[in-house]
Amino acid sequence: MADLHDEIKREIADHTILVYGKGTKDAPRCGFTLETIQFFNSFGYPFEVIDVLENMPKRLALSELTDWQTLPKVFIDGQFYGDTDILGPMAQSGELAKLLETTFKDKGVTPTIQLR
Amino acid sequence: MTETMISAMLRETMPDAEVQVYGLGGTTDHLEVFVRSKAFVGVSPLDRHRMVEKALAPGRADGRIHALQIRTATPEDTHG
Repeated sequence: MADLHDEIKREIADHTILVYGKGTKDAPRCGFTLETIQFFNSFGYPFEVIDVLENMPKRLALSELTDWQTLPKVFIDGQFYGDTDILGPMAQSGELAKLLETTFKDKGVTPTIQLR
Repeated sequence: MTETMISAMLRETMPDAEVQVYGLGGTTDHLEVFVRSKAFVGVSPLDRHRMVEKALAPGRADGRIHALQIRTATPEDTHG
């Protein structure tokens, strides 16, 4: 379990926006994971999705670390933000856009505009 | 799960909880719940979520709840 905690901490440190979900960015295997991918697509900042659907030990470790039992689990700049139930209202209030702007500005990353 | 069952579960830990339940996609195990309670005053969104999940954990465990979307509010909030 200690190794898994280290692995998770490394992944969280490596990706400014990190989603642990069911399935991949190209092939999400859960409605909520898909919703979260679409959610972050609309912001235009880079984000990573790590598929833990079949990895029960890692899912357990993640739940322990966060006291949050469900997937997806979203981390921004090392902080846990739950899922879109939490992020949706933050997006509506403008809080999330501000957080992402500050976080990525510090790293010298600008958002790409999404054409759709 | 019905609204009555979910309300009863939530009221065990939040006796004043006002609960509304919406089925997602016309199923009974994909749900959106809206909970209004004074238990949420001064509590972060993450912890509000944890409180609701904990109260509904038995339904999660036996599969009566598969997917759950949660919205919360306090009695003072004008909208939720």
